[in-house]
Amino acid sequence: MGGQIMKLFKILLLLPFIVFSDADDMYVIKGGMTFLPDGSFAKKDILVDEGQIILVADTIGDVGAENIIDAEGKYVTPGLIVFSSLGLLEIGALPQTNDTSSDIYNAGFDPSKAYNPFSQAVRLNRAKGVSSTVHVPGASGYFAGLLTYTKINDGYKQKKQGPLGLVTSYGESYGDSRAAQLHFMEDLFDFVRSANDGDADEVQFIEGTNNEYKFTKRDLKAIRKVLNREMPLVIQVSKATDILNVLKFADNQEVDLVLWGAAEAHMVADEIARAGVPVILDPLDNIPGSFDSLNATYENVIRLNEAGVEMAFYYAQGAGAHNAYLATQSAGNSVAMGLDYSSAMKAITSNPAEIFGLVGVGSIAPGFDADLVVWDGDPLELMSNVESVLIDGEDQDLSNRYEELTERYTKEKELPNSYRSRE
Amino acid sequence: MIRKLLVILVTLVLYGCSEEDSIFSSEAEGSVTNYDEDLHGTYASTYVPLDSENIVIRNATVFDGIGNKFQNYDVHFSNGEIQAIGSELIVDGADEIDGTGKFVTPGIIDNHSHMGVYPAPGVRTSSDGNEATNPVTAEVWAEHSVWSQDPQYKLALAGGITTFHVLPGSANLFGGRGVTLKNVSANTVPDMKFPDAPHSLKMACGENPKRVYSSRGPSTRMGNVAGYRDAWIGAEKYKKSLEKDPSQRNLRNETLVGVLDGEILVHNHCYRADEMATMINISEEFGYKVSTFHHGVEAYKIADLLADEGICAALWADWWGFKHEAYDMSIANIAIVDQARDGTGCAIVHSDSASGIQRLNQEAAKALAAGRRAGFDISEGRAMTWITKNPAKSLGILDQTGTLEQGKDADLVIWNGNPFSVYTKAEQVYIDGALTFDKATNFMPHTDFDLGIKEWEDK
Repeated sequence: MGGQIMKLFKILLLLPFIVFSDADDMYVIKGGMTFLPDGSFAKKDILVDEGQIILVADTIGDVGAENIIDAEGKYVTPGLIVFSSLGLLEIGALPQTNDTSSDIYNAGFDPSKAYNPFSQAVRLNRAKGVSSTVHVPGASGYFAGLLTYTKINDGYKQKKQGPLGLVTSYGESYGDSRAAQLHFMEDLFDFVRSANDGDADEVQFIEGTNNEYKFTKRDLKAIRKVLNREMPLVIQVSKATDILNVLKFADNQEVDLVLWGAAEAHMVADEIARAGVPVILDPLDNIPGSFDSLNATYENVIRLNEAGVEMAFYYAQGAGAHNAYLATQSAGNSVAMGLDYSSAMKAITSNPAEIFGLVGVGSIAPGFDADLVVWDGDPLELMSNVESVLIDGEDQDLSNRYEELTERYTKEKELPNSYRSRE
Repeated sequence: MIRKLLVILVTLVLYGCSEEDSIFSSEAEGSVTNYDEDLHGTYASTYVPLDSENIVIRNATVFDGIGNKFQNYDVHFSNGEIQAIGSELIVDGADEIDGTGKFVTPGIIDNHSHMGVYPAPGVRTSSDGNEATNPVTAEVWAEHSVWSQDPQYKLALAGGITTFHVLPGSANLFGGRGVTLKNVSANTVPDMKFPDAPHSLKMACGENPKRVYSSRGPSTRMGNVAGYRDAWIGAEKYKKSLEKDPSQRNLRNETLVGVLDGEILVHNHCYRADEMATMINISEEFGYKVSTFHHGVEAYKIADLLADEGICAALWADWWGFKHEAYDMSIANIAIVDQARDGTGCAIVHSDSASGIQRLNQEAAKALAAGRRAGFDISEGRAMTWITKNPAKSLGILDQTGTLEQGKDADLVIWNGNPFSVYTKAEQVYIDGALTFDKATNFMPHTDFDLGIKEWEDK
């Protein structure tokens, strides 16, 4: 970081005389309506070098950058940060292609280790403006596992940050009485607090029960991180009274909390705001789909915003994680419901970073990773297209199987499709 | 009028008039089944529209549902019907709505819904969408599972949905009959039924039947196909035996023979292109027609064939990857089907989702954008047909709804902006000329289920 500040300092002094040695890594994105950290769009030039944003200014002269992206009349936003199983799950109904959950591990399970950067879902989402994902474990036991942040750039190497949080659920989705769920969490946390690090490799927390209540060292380590406030507990919960229960639980246990789903959060928005707890949700969840979410409504994001709750959005409709990029549609609809544009855009870019303390991502400002998307229109509109995506300052290949299929079937052909060259 | 006709018909059936006397003789020709009784008898629609407004909407942007988009246009409706659309209509005695800056479209139609049979909340006790006890359950009728108090209907209404088609699930080769409903609040299902809408038959290809019945069969796609053919052969035999004994009843075969007689429309869940082609072969072998392939993630691969056969494809804008047969997605699927054979294709945007049905206009917008990106010159007016005219055609109700033509049901939506924008909301929805949703006054139906538990309402 210090180095970046020095670099920025030099640039400010030396512009426009400065000449960089490795100009290949340099980009200038010129003249795009740029989404700035203050929540406004303004026409800016952006200088990128060695993977980072060096300067955002009204005009940047000739700095010797080989790569100039003309964004005149276009929009530039931070790369979308989604919550998904991208690269962990290729085909929903094929267990062979599903690495999202574990039967052996619980709290310590980190599905992001299984990440496949060449997943077709990854390539499609990248082409649609996603630069990184918070990997979300699929639930199998009481604890689903760990959240981890992963860039989804092309190639074998991805930058990661985490673990960011421990995912669990509360309410009807788990099955046992809500009261028993609270007993369990309290007893487990007390138990882990009192256990010494030198304990056995594996702990059967409740004798005679199944794997769910068996914690390996890896699992215990994850729980300790929550108890030490190194990362929050992320609780999937819908019902208003359940939300109050988990707020109280987190307060008593002195652990940090993030709410997930939270369909009825609007009913207890002030309590959530007072506790300083962020909420991650899909603004489109307005169906009373369970007895835990009878009060689901489009108003959820509006009331949470009014109460001052920090929010991040994901898209949970339709094909779900395969179309995680449609977080833009969720955000766009939240604007239609009455949320201000700036809050909606932040909920899919900078807020996920803020909520989980991610370093150097989610905003367009000097010192941040150059994860940038150029759009041909309003990024939240249904008919806008992505033109360029930079991840860590590298221009990404946006080709994907789905564009290729489309091309194959829309061009005149003499030979059967399979004989035509791959373009 | 319709009800009067029903009474006449039932009388004819009961008293055994000769075919020539029947006003429905053209429909009933060659039929020896119970279909007329199914449609017009005990289970007939008892829908009664609310009182119609007499309104002229002035100076709006109007999509007529046929493919046109008119600027500064007026729409006049009264007595439950569209009276006229045009510029500066001369109308006496109608209430006026200033449509400046607003858009008017036909009521949106979803031809693939499970509202009512998979109602909210989604619990086992009201999960009634799929009689997954036998690969062939052509005998069941979705309308006998529909829960009239499903709180999801009004959410769809707020998205402009005036008509929806409820299908049984896709576990079976033959899932049973579907039902077309007006999106109106009622205590009984017949009170919601779209008058005279033909019955439909849900069929399903591919992974679902072979997975659900893998232990007893079918467990392969070829097993699926043998299953369809066996059932049709059985139906042919049954039809023949009716000549000897017209009084016999067999619910399963009555549905299948209804298809063979061209009275019941086939709605076929089918993802893969090669399987759709096989299903067309089967329809040729037994002499019926497929109305619509549903889901068709690979429809774009056989877009020409579908256009040639006059078969509609009801598709998602961008769903994919949830199963193997949904892997070869093209976001331009809908556009490619639409543009096949010089634009003679019949493309439909469907939802199969209580969430998606609330934003069918947005799904059409994404499909339109993808089509343009793929190089097609498609107008907004054309894309509007994907959620209005084409689903109406696929359900056999185009003579009654789906466009803003004179004499059609006054099913229409006033939007606060362009319906292809994410920021646009439906402001008012009219069904048969009656106001059923009004955003400004929070006017909408509330089912019994909503009472007491809804502390907040969408604004």
